[in-house]
Amino acid sequence: MSEKELGKKWDRCLADGAIKFGTGLGLGIVFSVLFFKRHTWPISLCSGAGLGMAFSNCQNDLRSSYLLHRSQKEQ
Amino acid sequence: MAARILPVVKLATKVTIAGGALYIAYDSGLLGSSEQGSEALNRAKAAIPPAVEEWMKYFGLETPLPTMPKVEFSPVQAWNSGVRRSISSLSEAPTKATQYTNQGLQYLKDLTK
Repeated sequence: MSEKELGKKWDRCLADGAIKFGTGLGLGIVFSVLFFKRHTWPISLCSGAGLGMAFSNCQNDLRSSYLLHRSQKEQ
Repeated sequence: MAARILPVVKLATKVTIAGGALYIAYDSGLLGSSEQGSEALNRAKAAIPPAVEEWMKYFGLETPLPTMPKVEFSPVQAWNSGVRRSISSLSEAPTKATQYTNQGLQYLKDLTK
């Protein structure tokens, strides 16, 4: 993996993290207001879940150059 | 009879709203891989100016609203240049320190001459 590609991957990771955190925050606010009587825990739960999704995506992306992909298997 | 249905209707409305929000988030790729997320972000950025224009026309405000000044500020560039500057100043620090101490000592020597 070249230096440039690695930089792009990190950029994507950070942007993805911000997007998923924002999405989680929004959905958490919606759920908290509608179902959970405006408590704080749904908001933190959903934004944390968003961050976790972003972390998992990032991990997969950075590892992908060391794994054998299905398309590369012969026969 | 209406008093008995009302809680059910309220619950149904809430579930619809929450389900709609979830569906929108899922459908626009916000919960998918990183490429989908950045693609959704680009689409949102491209869709903002026409939407803002439409809203302004709807409200009848034809004044040229202060369009987002195309600030040529890139946080990435700022961060990179900041890192470069701090590291270069750190690497030059010993040399500069000896220079300044020598100058100070010279000055004191001149004073006591």
